[in-house]
Amino acid sequence: MQHVRISGKKPLGILIAVTCIGAATLLGVVVAHKSNKYPSSDSASIDAELVHVASTVGGRLIDLRVHVNQHVHKGDVLYRLDPEPYLLTVRQAEANLELANAEVENQKRLVGVKTANAAVATDQITRAQTNRDLAARTTERLKPLAGKAYIPWQEYDQARVALHNAEVSLAQAHQQSVAADMAVGDLKSSLAAQAASQAALDHARYELRQTTVIAPTDGYVTSLQVKPGEVLAPSQVLFTLIADDAWYVTAPIREINLSSIHAGDCVTVYSMINRHTPLRGHVESIGWGIMSADTTILARALPIVPRQMDWVHVAQRFPVRIQIDDIRPELLRMGATANVEIRYGAACH
Amino acid sequence: MIPKPFHRFLSVLLVPLVSGCTFQGAPSFPIVGAYFPAWMVCGLTGIAVALILRVIFLLTGIDTLLSFRLFTYVALGVLSALALWVFVFGPG
Repeated sequence: MQHVRISGKKPLGILIAVTCIGAATLLGVVVAHKSNKYPSSDSASIDAELVHVASTVGGRLIDLRVHVNQHVHKGDVLYRLDPEPYLLTVRQAEANLELANAEVENQKRLVGVKTANAAVATDQITRAQTNRDLAARTTERLKPLAGKAYIPWQEYDQARVALHNAEVSLAQAHQQSVAADMAVGDLKSSLAAQAASQAALDHARYELRQTTVIAPTDGYVTSLQVKPGEVLAPSQVLFTLIADDAWYVTAPIREINLSSIHAGDCVTVYSMINRHTPLRGHVESIGWGIMSADTTILARALPIVPRQMDWVHVAQRFPVRIQIDDIRPELLRMGATANVEIRYGAACH
Repeated sequence: MIPKPFHRFLSVLLVPLVSGCTFQGAPSFPIVGAYFPAWMVCGLTGIAVALILRVIFLLTGIDTLLSFRLFTYVALGVLSALALWVFVFGPG
């Protein structure tokens, strides 16, 4: 029976063992330190900005100039809705504006007539004043004559009645002048109606323009699966445009590593579409908030906190937004898996 | 980061294993439609290295010089796994 030799009798063996264990521990510490300082993620995804293409007006789709997965440029015509209803509205609005313009002209003439009437009424005051003054002077002259019986008393009475009549006429002329002045009026209401008609016409023309939808940005057409003939409600999305002027990577990074990430840091991005090509990017920003599953705060209710006794807590991760600097269209598709190496990697030397 | 003499020791020991392996590409490896992370490759390499060293040491008789064999081989495996990460996948 062979004895297993006790390790303690071999100093060289102990030395080797201690050296190996010590080296492994030291290297482990170094690796842990480095991986904290230079974070990476293999569950990032390629991200881009979207436009949900829709028209603010509704109608029948009569002309679809794009097909799915096509690349379009900013300003290209994407599709047109049937413009006829909106053309008719424009014509109606034009007619309403003509009507309002005619009403303004009409009102101008009316104001002219009334202004002339007011001038006539003013002249009438002058005439009534003159008549009254004459009657007053006549009465004044006849009064001493009637007192000394050179003229019949009847004649003097007639003169006084004439004076009274002339005074009444003068007062009436004053009132008529005031009334005529008030009746002149102005163009405010017809001008306001004209402005309203103009605005209605502008709005109708705007809606007519909205029947032609143009590309708001360069990008790729996706989720398009209808043909011309489809009737669209106002603001109904016809397809989604993936903007391709800027591409991003959203990388979930553990909160313990966030302190070593700063905006502008160099990032090596590998799109798994071709995992051999490193792309250079930079950290644009770090997400400011995520929904916590531990506590749910409902509006107008008390927070929901589950009973638990977790001893080990998995680190929360925050989305880090990385902008890709060298854009390679063949490697970039929204949602593709990406690996990111922050502050190191092939693209950051 | 790594002390100089220690670095040299590591280089002498392990660089032959990984030199010539100019690693290019993402640290994820697609195998039948799933991506396996680099650290898993490092771990498997460590296990393989420990087993291979065991066989070599048995054949060459070095094994008889060792004591605490389990710990020694585990440490050698861990060392090779970490070194692979440091020199190939890590920030360098």
